[in-house]
Amino acid sequence: MSRKYDTVIGLEIHVALLTESKFLCSCSTEFGAPPNSHCCPICLGLPGSLPAINAKAVEYAVIAGSALNCVINPFSKFDRKNYFYPDLPKAYQITQDAYPICGPGYLDYYVQDKLERTKIVRIHLEEEAGKLIHSGESIIDSEYSLVDYNRAGIPLIEIVTAPDITAPEQARLFLEQLRLVMNYIQVSDTKMEEGSLRCDANISLKPKGSPVLGTKVEIKNLNSFRALERALEFEKERQREVLEQGGQIEQESRTWDERAGKTMTMRSKADAPDYRFFPDPNLPPLNLDPVWIENLKKSLPELPLERLHRLKDQDRLSHYEAAFLVNYPDFGDLFEKVKVTFPEPKAIVNLLMGDYARLAREHGHLNPVRLGELLQLLADEVINKNQGKDILEELFKTEEDSPAEIVEKRGWRMLSDAAQLRKVVEGILADNPDLVGRFRNGENKLFGFFIGQVMRATEGKADPEVVNNLLREELEGGRN
Amino acid sequence: MIDREEVIRIAALARLDLSEEEIEKYQRDLTDFLTACAQLKKVDVSQLRATSHAVTIKPRLRQDRVGPSLKQTDVLSGGADVQDGFFRVPRIVEGQG
Ligand SMILES: [Zn+2]
Repeated sequence: MSRKYDTVIGLEIHVALLTESKFLCSCSTEFGAPPNSHCCPICLGLPGSLPAINAKAVEYAVIAGSALNCVINPFSKFDRKNYFYPDLPKAYQITQDAYPICGPGYLDYYVQDKLERTKIVRIHLEEEAGKLIHSGESIIDSEYSLVDYNRAGIPLIEIVTAPDITAPEQARLFLEQLRLVMNYIQVSDTKMEEGSLRCDANISLKPKGSPVLGTKVEIKNLNSFRALERALEFEKERQREVLEQGGQIEQESRTWDERAGKTMTMRSKADAPDYRFFPDPNLPPLNLDPVWIENLKKSLPELPLERLHRLKDQDRLSHYEAAFLVNYPDFGDLFEKVKVTFPEPKAIVNLLMGDYARLAREHGHLNPVRLGELLQLLADEVINKNQGKDILEELFKTEEDSPAEIVEKRGWRMLSDAAQLRKVVEGILADNPDLVGRFRNGENKLFGFFIGQVMRATEGKADPEVVNNLLREELEGGRN
Repeated sequence: MIDREEVIRIAALARLDLSEEEIEKYQRDLTDFLTACAQLKKVDVSQLRATSHAVTIKPRLRQDRVGPSLKQTDVLSGGADVQDGFFRVPRIVEGQG
C-alpha cells in the first residue's frame, strides 16, 4: 500500500436467520427444495394477502444485537423499500429504515495479537429476496436469468458497521469473528456457499491522516472470506491508481468477478435507485417488552472472545491453542467435556490438535470419557507416545473397548518394573560377553546396540528410561 | 407547479408510461397534493408526541411454524415465461463493465 493514503472500509453483512418458517408467512425456509415450491400469496406479494411477523425472527434479531453489544430498541417499525428487480416479487422489500431494531454496538476481535474494535452502527430486520440463476457466467453477460422465490421472504438481519476497518485483511478477520458469534448464539447457519451469510463492502481512500473521507465505492457479490479480501485488495489498488493519476473516484456499485479477479461497474450514482421508503401499512410497529429483552441478554451463551480469554487466563493455553478451540467450537466443547475427567488442559489440547483432529474430521468425534482415559494412560506412563497414537486410531474403529482394555488386549502395558527388566538386561549381557568387553574398553557406540536388544526382547514395551539406567549400572559398573 | 421532468422521473420509478395529456394532468395533481402537504407542514406540532405509524395496536406475532405453500404449478401460473420450475426473466444489467 502506498504510504500516501489511508484505506477506509465499512461492511454491510446479511445474515439469514435460522427460523423454520419465513419472516412474514408460514412457508418453509428449508434449503434445496424444488424451485418455487415454498411460496404462498404472502411471499409472492399477491393482492389481498396479509403478512404476520414471525416471533422467532424478532427474538433472533434481539439475541444477535445483544451479542454485538448493541442498544436494543423496544420500538422499531417496518418500511417498504420500493424498487423493481426480478428477485423481488412484490416490487418492494419489507425492511426497517428510520427505526431499526438495534442501535449502536461493537465487535472486538484479534488481528494477529492485537485486539481491535469495529463499531456497529445498526442492525435491522428485513426479508430476503429470491434467488437468481444467470444464463451466462455473470449477471453482466447473461441474456436471461431464472428466478426461484423459495428464498424470498426468509428473515434476515442486516448488520452495518462504521467505516472503522483499515485493511482488507482486517475486514476478513472481522467477518470471520462475526460469523463465529452468529454460530455461537445459533441464530444462523452462516453458510456463505448457500448464501445465508453475505457481505457487501464500502471502500474509499483518503490522504494519509485526513479527517475527510474520500468517495466510496460499494462492492457486491462477495461470496467468501477470500473474495472479500481479494476484492478489497483489488479495489484499493484500482482507486490508488486513479487518484495518483489525478483522477476522481466515481461513487458507484461494483460487482466482484471471481474468475477475472477484478471488480466491475454495476451502476453509478447517476442512476442510483430512489427507494421511496414509507411505513408498511400492514405491519404495526414492534413494541418489545424491556424485561423480555433483558432476559434474552442474560441468557446469551459464552461468546467466542470470552471463551478465548477464559482458555488463555484460566486454562493457561497459548493464543494459538485457545484460538483453535474457539474457532472450532465442536473441538472447544469436547475439550470442556474431557477436562471434567482429565483436568490437564495442555495435554488435552495437544491431543486434539494433533492426529485426533485429522481422524475426527474423517470419522466424527470420540466420547470424551474415552479420550480422558487415553490421556490418563499416557500421563501415568502406562503406554508411550507411539502406542498412544495406535490406541487413538483403534478408538475410532471400535466403540466396545476402553483404552485400558485395548492396552491389555495388545499386551502393550509399558514394562517399567526394574526387577523384571534387570533380568532381561542381565540375560542379554551374558549372551554377548565379547561386545560387553569391547564396550568396557571404550567402544561407547555399542550402548545403542544393547538398548535395541532389550527393546527387541520385550517387544518394544520396555520403558526406555528404566532400560537406560539399568544398562548404565550394569555396564559402567564393570568398566576398566 | 412541478416540472415535466419531475413527473416523468416519478412515473419511470413506477414503470409508468404517460401520455402528453397525462403528464400535464399529473403536473397539476401532484402540485395540488404538494401544496396541501406544505399547508399541513405549517401546523404547529411542537407540543405533540410524534407518531410514525397510523396504527397503534400491538402487533400479534406469529409462532414460528411451517404451514402449507402453494403448488409449484400454481406459483408459476402467474409467470409470463417459465422454464424448469423457474420464472424466466430477460437480461437484467445493460452494457458491459
Ligand atoms: Zn410464503
